[in-house]
Amino acid sequence: MADSFDLDDSPRRPRAKGGKAGKAAPPARPARPASRAPRARRPARGAGAAEITDALLQIADGHHGIRLDLASFADPALREVAAAVNASDERVQRDLTEFQVRVKAVSDGVDEAVEAMIRLVVQGDLSSELRLGVTDAALTPLIAGIGQVMETLKRFTTEIREAALQLSTSAAEVLAAATQNESSTAAQASSIHETTATMEELKGASHQIAENAQMVAVIAEQTLTGARQGEGSIKLFAESMQKVRTNAVEVDDAISKLSRRVERIGTVVEVIDEIADRSDLLALNAALEGAKAGEAGRGFSIVAAEMRRLAENVMESTKEIKNLITEIRESTHAAKEASDGNKRMAGEGEKLAGTAMQSVTGILTGIQETSDAARVIHLATQQQRTATEQVVQSMSEIEEVTRQAQSGSRQATGAASELTKLAERLAELVKRFKVD
Amino acid sequence: MTQPLAELLVFQVGARVFAAAVQDVVRIGSVRDVPPEELVEGTSLGSTLGRERGIVVSDHQLGTEATLVVDQVLGVRSVPEGEVHPLPAFAAAVLRTAAVAGFVMLDEAPTLLVDLLTLIRERRAAAAA
Repeated sequence: MADSFDLDDSPRRPRAKGGKAGKAAPPARPARPASRAPRARRPARGAGAAEITDALLQIADGHHGIRLDLASFADPALREVAAAVNASDERVQRDLTEFQVRVKAVSDGVDEAVEAMIRLVVQGDLSSELRLGVTDAALTPLIAGIGQVMETLKRFTTEIREAALQLSTSAAEVLAAATQNESSTAAQASSIHETTATMEELKGASHQIAENAQMVAVIAEQTLTGARQGEGSIKLFAESMQKVRTNAVEVDDAISKLSRRVERIGTVVEVIDEIADRSDLLALNAALEGAKAGEAGRGFSIVAAEMRRLAENVMESTKEIKNLITEIRESTHAAKEASDGNKRMAGEGEKLAGTAMQSVTGILTGIQETSDAARVIHLATQQQRTATEQVVQSMSEIEEVTRQAQSGSRQATGAASELTKLAERLAELVKRFKVD
Repeated sequence: MTQPLAELLVFQVGARVFAAAVQDVVRIGSVRDVPPEELVEGTSLGSTLGRERGIVVSDHQLGTEATLVVDQVLGVRSVPEGEVHPLPAFAAAVLRTAAVAGFVMLDEAPTLLVDLLTLIRERRAAAAA
C-alpha cells in the first residue's frame, strides 16, 4: 500500500518543463535513410521533374521552406507543378506553424494542470480546487479528469485517514489483546508447568498408593486367616465356658451339700459341747461337795477333778471343732461365692463369646470386604497410574505446545506493537493530506 | 506334821481371779438355768464378760438363795491354812467393800478371798437403794 502512495516520488511528467512542440514525437513516417539527405538546389538551367521530385521528398521528410525556382522550369506543366509544390509547402508550413502554436498552448495547459495537481499533491492540500488559467477546450476533458482524480484522491485520502484511524485503534486493541494473550499464555504455561509437576507427583503417589493397596490386600488376607482362626478359638472358648458353667453348677451343688453336712456337724458339736458343759458343771459341783466333805471326800474330789478335766478337754475339742466348722463355713461360703462367681463369669464368658463371635463375624465380613476393596483399589490405582502417566505425557505435550504458543504470542505482541507503530505512522502521514 | 488345809472355790470375774470358802457355796449352776431376778451381777468384784457360771449362795437369815454371776469357775483348790491371810488394816481401810475377807497365795500370787454372802447382801442393798 505504501508503495502506491509514495508521495516523495514525483509523478512522471510526459515532457520536460518548457518543452517545445516541435521536439515532439517522431514523425509517423519512417525517416529516410541518411543517404537521402536534403539535396542541394539545382542550378536554374534546365530544371525538370527531378527537381520537383527531390523537393517533394524533402517535404515528405519534414523539410519545409523549399522554394522551386519557377523560372527555371522550361516546361510549363512542370512549372505549374513546381508552383503547386511551392504553394503546398507554404500552406503546410503555415499550417504547421499554427499547429505548433496550438500544440504549444495545449502542452502548456497540460503542464500547468499537471504541475498544479502535483503541487497540491506534494503539498498535501487536497481541499483546494484546481484553478487553471487554461481555457482551451481541448484541455477540458483533461482538467475534468484531473478534477476527478483529485476528488478520487481526496475520497481515497479521507477513507485512508478513517481506515488509518480505525487501523490505529484496532492495532492498539490487537496489541492490548496480544499483550493480554501473552501474559495469559505465560500464566497458562506456568500453570501447565505446575500442573505437570503436580501430575508427576501424583504419578509417584499413585505408584505408592498401588503398592500400599497391594500391601493392604496382603495384610487383609493374613488378617482374614487370623480372624478365622480367632473364630475357631472363640467357638472353643464358648464351649469351654459352657463346660465351666456346668462344672460350676455341679460344684455349687456339692458345696451346698457340704454346707448342709457342716451345719449338721455344728448341731452335733453343739450338743456335745452342751453335754461337756453339763459334765464340767457336774464335776465342779462334785468337787465342791468333796471339798465340803473334808478328808472323807478327798477321793471324790480327785475323781471329780478328773471328770472336769475330761469335760474341759471335750469342750476344748468342741471349741476347735467349732472353729473348724466356722472356717469350713467361711471357706464354703467363699467357695459358694467363687462358684457363683464362676457361674456368673462363665455366663458372662458365654455372652462375651457370643458377642465376640458376632464381632468376629462382622470383622470377617469387614476384612473380606476390605480385602476385596483393597484388590479393587490396587487395580484402580494401577489404572490410575497408567492414566496419570498418560496425563503426564499429555501435559508435557501441552506444555510444549503452550511454550510454542507463548513464543507465538510473544511474536504476535511484537507484530502488534509494530503494527501499532505503523498505524500511527500511517495516521501521521495521512494527516499531511488536507481534505477539508 | 500335816498342816490343816483350807478348801477354796476359785472363780474369775472379768480378768481377775478370786477365791471363796467352799462352805459358802451351795452349788454351781449355769446362768441360763436361773431366772434373771435371782442373778446377782455388777458387784464390787467388777463386770463379767462371758456370764457362763453362777455361784449359788444361801442366805440363811432370809431363807433364800442367790446366784452370783461369774465368768468362769476355775475349780476347787486345797491350800494350807497358813496361806490364808486376813486383810491388812490399810487395805481394809482403802477398799470400799466389806466382802473381801482376806487373801490367799495361789501359785505364788495373792488372790482376794471373798465373803460371798456379804458381797451379795451389799449388792442387794445397793440395788434397793
